[in-house]
Amino acid sequence: MPTRRSGMRLAITGLGLVSPLGVSRSEWNASLVDPATARARAFGAASEVTGTTGSAEVWGFDPNSHLGPKGHRSFDRLTKYMIAAAKGALEDAGIKRDGAFVEGAPPATEIGICSATAYGSLDAITELNRVAELEDPRYINPTRFPNTVVNAAAGYVSIWEDLRAPNTTIVDGNCGALDAVLVASTHLAHQRGDAFLVGGGEVVSEPLHAALSRLGVLRGEDGGGVEMGEGACYAIVERAEDAALRGARVLSEIIGYGTAFEPPASEAVLVHASPDAVARAAIEALDEAGISPDEVDAVAGSAGGMAAIDAAEAEGLARVFGGWRGRGDIPVASPKAIIGETFGAAGAFGMAAALAWMEGAPVAPLRGDAVERPRTILVTTLGLYGNASAIVMRRA
Amino acid sequence: MSRVFITGAGVVSALGFGKKAFGEALAAGTSAASTVELFDASGLDRNIACEVKGFRARDFLTAGEARRAGRCSAMAVAAARMAVEDAGITPEQLAGPRTAVVLGTTMGEANVLGALESRWIHDGEAAVSEAMLPRYGTTLLPIHVARAFGARGMVKTLPAACAAGNYAIGYAADQIRSGRADVALTGAAEVIEKLQFAGFARLGAIAPERCQPFDANRKGLLVGEGAGMFVLESEESVVRRGATPLAEIGGYGLACDAHHITRPHPEGAGSRYATLRALRASGVRASDVDYVNAHGTATPANDEVEARVFADVFGTHRPLVTSIKSMLGHCMGASSAIEAVSCVLTLETGVIPPTIHYETPDPECDLNLVANEAQRAEVSLLLNNSLAFGGYDAVLCLAKPGVLPADTGAL
Repeated sequence: MPTRRSGMRLAITGLGLVSPLGVSRSEWNASLVDPATARARAFGAASEVTGTTGSAEVWGFDPNSHLGPKGHRSFDRLTKYMIAAAKGALEDAGIKRDGAFVEGAPPATEIGICSATAYGSLDAITELNRVAELEDPRYINPTRFPNTVVNAAAGYVSIWEDLRAPNTTIVDGNCGALDAVLVASTHLAHQRGDAFLVGGGEVVSEPLHAALSRLGVLRGEDGGGVEMGEGACYAIVERAEDAALRGARVLSEIIGYGTAFEPPASEAVLVHASPDAVARAAIEALDEAGISPDEVDAVAGSAGGMAAIDAAEAEGLARVFGGWRGRGDIPVASPKAIIGETFGAAGAFGMAAALAWMEGAPVAPLRGDAVERPRTILVTTLGLYGNASAIVMRRA
Repeated sequence: MSRVFITGAGVVSALGFGKKAFGEALAAGTSAASTVELFDASGLDRNIACEVKGFRARDFLTAGEARRAGRCSAMAVAAARMAVEDAGITPEQLAGPRTAVVLGTTMGEANVLGALESRWIHDGEAAVSEAMLPRYGTTLLPIHVARAFGARGMVKTLPAACAAGNYAIGYAADQIRSGRADVALTGAAEVIEKLQFAGFARLGAIAPERCQPFDANRKGLLVGEGAGMFVLESEESVVRRGATPLAEIGGYGLACDAHHITRPHPEGAGSRYATLRALRASGVRASDVDYVNAHGTATPANDEVEARVFADVFGTHRPLVTSIKSMLGHCMGASSAIEAVSCVLTLETGVIPPTIHYETPDPECDLNLVANEAQRAEVSLLLNNSLAFGGYDAVLCLAKPGVLPADTGAL
């Protein structure tokens, strides 16, 4: 039997995001009040990257209005999104005001970053590969070279915002942003910082689009398949007792985390999703939260349009929530139905959706009955190689 | 909180496969530098690297594993298999949800991506291999390792650039301490790839011939590759199976410079903090440190900053210092993991490998350096240092079993 751990009690004290639905928590929350309109807005134009429709992008993002006019020319899009989201989160949590650290809130040395991405450096790698392959490797721009390193974007966030506690980038496919919660929880438990930006970022990029297109998994006319999304989203996560002590407004608590991996039955298979992993991750998160499945009001799931993957999640959740509250299906909604698949950042947008629901946005479930202002929400993510992660959020 | 022990170590390196071959080559002061063979580097102004030669995945992986994995993952699985054998842990003891896999890297399957992109750029989307596409993904490294051993707990990649090994090992130890896992397979892997080599060359960071850490005439790093992997176990697991630990993991220190994306902070602010933090978290003093495996890339900036931090932290104590990058090159994300294997060997044998090519002392790098020849010393506690792109600093404390205080790593 697993060793029983002491429960998790983390406070989310702020949220910042750059999304197809705007660049602030208030704009995000307001958009989600009408999910259908929000979806239309998110997918409302032809892609600036691929030229085709069908992806949800951060339309009209102006880096100058977030980062100022100077100093970010060599940054890639991911870096700019992540800095703007980080800035928004720090201000929303009352840690920074007008760009300066607020007295009484955690200082620069005690603020760190736990940031996920799955394919974040692809854009930069492609840009340089094009030069190397079509011209000459000697012509690649050295100021862009750091962007090819997966953790570069989070590194730039730390420099731009002057955050000096540990900076950890996490890659776990589509599960990374929820795993960032455990990284933050671990660092907080070991007193390695007092507040962490927790979430991630991803961009719609030409190589990723080409790869998904080649694999035939992009949404087609039959309505199945992946719709690409993008953005960056960070929650400010602190120890709940510290947040209370500094009088911070708490948007939600995170009270449990779980993760699991299950290999496929066949040696030859690489891409697969496991209902067992989903169920184990969810149960582990509920166990840590010390609650039963019946105490969960809704699930922010990760269904993203790949039938086999989505079916595995549904089956895994059914194992945990079968006969929920004696009447059947727990409400399961997928934020991806509104803003597309954001891969490594998906868990962060799942958290953002859960926060919006707690504040009154309709849950719009794919399955189960509508639910109003859910108090306890399970956020799940499912990877493409057998991995799954989950957290439990509870309205403060 | 559980204590955490290293019970097995494995390595795929330019200086040999497995602890024994690796240790002997290090002790002999062997240089792995040679002309680049992995790709055509003739037009790049620089053409020396420390490549892993003669690595055949099928020597270590099953046919199925070798078909699924790229070179980077294959090295990770191979090193993990050696570590598992070294630990003497059975497949039954290793399989299941209580075993975590945490890996570090900088770019993961960079050459899988390089090959895919080359095809795509020249011949278009339709020419890209559908079968090869899912083999790219930094997330795959721990997946391959987990599948090889039936591990079903967490699978994480922490891409912390050149500090990734220390990040992964430290985080894996955290998860055992907090009771989320009993056993962890952890370490890091990296491969040399053309774009990354060209990038370092364009940054002016690559030395023309030799890697000379802390030498007044040092001219930069040499790129290396490989994998270093460990079996980590909780005290309970070690006792239960009657294992003999090779080393104990103390605390580790992390910091972020928040200064520059590629250069270290000029005063080593983050590095200094991370070093002090590693000592405090381990429950030891600076004077307890017998030996430091330096990051020692041989770039002018790194070595000077590192030496300054050591002077600050250790004062007159002056522990022995070496940089095995002089022999192995800079294995980037894998470096601090591969070097941790060297650290474990030093704890086991008392042999500190040398910093080779050391000729002209640099007054800015005044260290108690193990220069040119290996040295025997009583080493019971050491630090493994790393600094990285992004301003990351990570310092890991390792010790002979029984040396660290009871609450080590609690902080």
